[in-house]
Amino acid sequence: MIGVNLWRKLLAAGALLLLWEGAVALSSDAVLISSPSDIAGYLSENFALIARASVETSRNAFWGFLWGNAAAIVLSATMLVLPRSERFLLALALLVFCVPLIASGPILRVLYGPGTGPQVTLAALAVYYTTLLALLVGLRAVSQNWIDLMRVYGRGPLATLMRVRARASLPYLFVGLQISAPAAFLGAMIGEFTGAERGLGVLTLRAMRGLETDATWSLALLSAAIAMTGYGALGWLGRRAVGYAPEILLSAPRQDADQTWWRSLGQTLLIVACVVAVWQLTMDAFDLNRFFAKRPGDVWGFLIVAENRDTLVAALAQTLGSALPGYLAGLSLGAGLAALLILWPGLAQATLPFAVALRAIPIITTAPLLVLGFGRGLAGTTVVVAVMIFFPTLVACQQGLRQTPGQVADLFRSYGAGRFVFLCKAQIPAMLPAFFASARMAVPAALLAVTTVEWLATGKGVGVLMATTSSTSNYNMLWSCVAALAGVAAAAYALVAALERAILRVYASEQLT
Amino acid sequence: MTQPRHLTRRFFLQTSAVAAASAGVPAFAASPTAVNFQLSWLHSVQFGGSYIAKQRGYWSDLGLDVSLSQGGPNAPVEPPVVSGAALVGISAADYTAAAVTQGAPFKIIAVAMQKNPFAIASLAGNPVNEPADLVGKKIGMAVANTPVLQALCTLNDVDIDEIEIVPTQYDPAPLVSGQVDCLLSWATDLPVAMTVQGVDNTTMLMADYGYALHSQTYIATDDAIANRRADLVALLKGEVMGWTDYLADTDAAAVLTAEMFPDAGLDLEAQKLQAARQVPLMFTDLTEQHGFGWFTDETVAANIETLVLLGQEVSADLWDRSLLEEVHG
Amino acid sequence: MISPDIICDAVTKSFGATQAVSEFSATLKAGHTTALVGPSGCGKSTILRMIAGLETPERGEVLVGDEAPDAVARRGALAMSFQDPSLLPWRSVSANIALGAELARKPADQVDHLIDLVGLSGFADHRPAALSGGMRQRAAIARSLISKPEVLLLDEPFGAVDAITRRRLNVDLPPLWRARGTTVVLVTHSVEEALLLSDRVIVLSSRPASVVADIAVDAPGPRDSAFLDTPAVQDHARALYSALEGR
Repeated sequence: MIGVNLWRKLLAAGALLLLWEGAVALSSDAVLISSPSDIAGYLSENFALIARASVETSRNAFWGFLWGNAAAIVLSATMLVLPRSERFLLALALLVFCVPLIASGPILRVLYGPGTGPQVTLAALAVYYTTLLALLVGLRAVSQNWIDLMRVYGRGPLATLMRVRARASLPYLFVGLQISAPAAFLGAMIGEFTGAERGLGVLTLRAMRGLETDATWSLALLSAAIAMTGYGALGWLGRRAVGYAPEILLSAPRQDADQTWWRSLGQTLLIVACVVAVWQLTMDAFDLNRFFAKRPGDVWGFLIVAENRDTLVAALAQTLGSALPGYLAGLSLGAGLAALLILWPGLAQATLPFAVALRAIPIITTAPLLVLGFGRGLAGTTVVVAVMIFFPTLVACQQGLRQTPGQVADLFRSYGAGRFVFLCKAQIPAMLPAFFASARMAVPAALLAVTTVEWLATGKGVGVLMATTSSTSNYNMLWSCVAALAGVAAAAYALVAALERAILRVYASEQLT
Repeated sequence: MTQPRHLTRRFFLQTSAVAAASAGVPAFAASPTAVNFQLSWLHSVQFGGSYIAKQRGYWSDLGLDVSLSQGGPNAPVEPPVVSGAALVGISAADYTAAAVTQGAPFKIIAVAMQKNPFAIASLAGNPVNEPADLVGKKIGMAVANTPVLQALCTLNDVDIDEIEIVPTQYDPAPLVSGQVDCLLSWATDLPVAMTVQGVDNTTMLMADYGYALHSQTYIATDDAIANRRADLVALLKGEVMGWTDYLADTDAAAVLTAEMFPDAGLDLEAQKLQAARQVPLMFTDLTEQHGFGWFTDETVAANIETLVLLGQEVSADLWDRSLLEEVHG
Repeated sequence: MISPDIICDAVTKSFGATQAVSEFSATLKAGHTTALVGPSGCGKSTILRMIAGLETPERGEVLVGDEAPDAVARRGALAMSFQDPSLLPWRSVSANIALGAELARKPADQVDHLIDLVGLSGFADHRPAALSGGMRQRAAIARSLISKPEVLLLDEPFGAVDAITRRRLNVDLPPLWRARGTTVVLVTHSVEEALLLSDRVIVLSSRPASVVADIAVDAPGPRDSAFLDTPAVQDHARALYSALEGR
């Protein structure tokens, strides 16, 4: 059986390669598209160079992966042990995640000097947030009885964290880690744009400008392959480490006692004040030059001028207009694909590699091809944003769909319900918490994606305002954009969270006790 | 091309020893002064003269240990220079002027590219040979560069509204795939790539149509000029020597570049072509007469006029020739 | 081991608008087993949870000896078996049982004995997912016994256990905690189980829970299956049923 399957797969892969080769031969854009034989040729001719670059980027990605995920674990544990810190830490984590590379790149390079510091840091920054959110869901996905059990023995939150929550969150941690693998790789690669001496990112940049199409395609495929290896290895490790089929793990968001509006307003203001203080103090602590590391006061002074404010607001409106369709499309694509893969598991082997690849290849490589295919209008923007965010949604939703308790599955089977009915009535409600977790994760990712597209393809919006900084040194505008994007991200996040609470009250209400 | 007489290695070693001795500093101190030099882009023969200066020991002979930090899409030059992480950076007159407006205390202390490298690149089958040809064309460029195109149009009486600007990333692909008719790019990179890849193309250098703007300029802060003058002079001396060697044999500079940066993935053929192409931009009658990196009140005045077209009001104080005068003095 | 009395003094608790327990007062004597019976949802579990320190009374007070419940919990002197077995899915049966000792910071030296006692021999290394509901509940009971608690709280401990095993456990377990002098509080639906296991049965009204009847089970003789057939116990049973049906 296995032998036959393997042969069939090899045959399919071979046919695909032949088709690809043939299509390139017939294509008029032969300068921009490489055939499998060209790619193989390039890789074998430049083996030593490519191998050195791969090792360099992978090593940076590895360290970033470790640091970023360690940070996520520490942060999530802190939030559980000190619940009062949660809102603040979560807000801070979101805002740091929102700082775009164009603002963080120069700061990191000045802080670290030459070397791999910025690459590792950017890889870490690319992963910590998704893992944090996945872990927070996981750490809460424990039965109230387990917590009661701990309390009956007089054990507090710390013991509960160590003995119950940590272990119970393992399946979620591995989902986070799996999503992290390609993200860390991409982060390390993008980090090389801050002036690194070597690595796959440097080579990609050079290949694209040099119209070295074979090199561009080879590098993209190689990046994807390395990321896929990491993804696969973590999946395997996760299955071994978890070691049991998790029971029903629907977890509703934290139930805050119904707050009066003025209390939540007060809390929000307090968080904003803390964030502003952290922003100011961090920059002061590292003695970062005011020329490019703008403080809150500088931004305030800049935005107080109506002209500057109007420019920013107009750009922000354009950016949000293009971000929303892409965000919705990416979420639907991720959730839809997850549902399809549950209905037809055979599809997974064909689609997942593409999904991982799209997540691991830098957007500067994929965006031009997508723009070539879909144009520079709304369709193109939507596609690029969707491509950037659908992968975490897909992985999280797949995990969520598998959470349907076995007894519920049996119940549906006993009524002779088909797979589709089962999906709609049991699996999708079971998937909702994971879906919403990824919808929250996708908010900052969508904003970062859309600003990149604006810079590369549409020439509008906040992305252009920020990209212009490199020639104008208008760091006031850059940091105003950063502050505005962070504010928008926080507001959108809160909106999604409110929606989540409302919907989970209905679908996972039995989990709210 | 002939080498200016006084620019020999022995000359520099003599003068620098004298200068150092008169400043009361041992010329060949046991530990050379570490200096960080921030380049504006990824390593390539674009900075070939600097590599020669490093490789052939010109800087170490002058008591400097220079690190060449490469740039990149997210590695702007101004922050490390303003914060002191780099002593000198490679910028351009318009970037420097903008940074100064934003409060950076920069001066342009030397100019590597006398002629601005910006060009309009087009395919040979649909060429843009002069500004008037732009009418009715689609041009691919970063939207941020609109003032540059506007300046070219103003200088040559072309209505910019007749040109369709398509935002693209800095990459020849949109031109080759027919998404645009021409690109705003440097004459020395994307067109070279197309030529090497066998795509027939035409470039129209903007400097030939009135766009006078120093590029690949050396910038330093007022503080560095006041307090680290000797290091700056030594660094520029090494540059002058390196670039003089470069001019003598551009192929050798390309080979050296490829050898020094094996991880950069450089294509030797493209590097050789680029090395040759940037010669007329860097070496002109002016440098023939005064030496590499030179600028005059007249070229500065022309730059100020172009900067006005770009919406930037600057005075001649942005340039400081005193260090060059010491170097070539 | 000196077990403490449990004193509930006019304890009241509500959840939102619904009052679960109203002015409940009782002293549960040290070393005795007290059963709380009453209709579903009457608030008896809430009383148990207040004794465990899992809920705080709005008014009134629960004392275990002269300590607050959570102080007793912190000493590791309390154990509870829940309606849901709440085993940790990643631990084997024996590891789940040992958890009770680990959490109470007591030696886990009786795991094998307790596995035999609750009839799980041969399943020590199984994960909970491989067990039936009744088997999981028995593992949970073993977990509550391993720390040799001074106060043992059992919330419907045998609900999912099959009838034969349940009858056997009802006979085998009480001698264990009687020998240890444990103060036991048991919540159950079953009048027979209450009689078999307890020294005293308190019948509660439905929400809010208040005492309807309080019967001492003082019939002599060994508490085996024949015990239920003795006339004295049958009288108790009749009294209990009429108290339960009276409201």
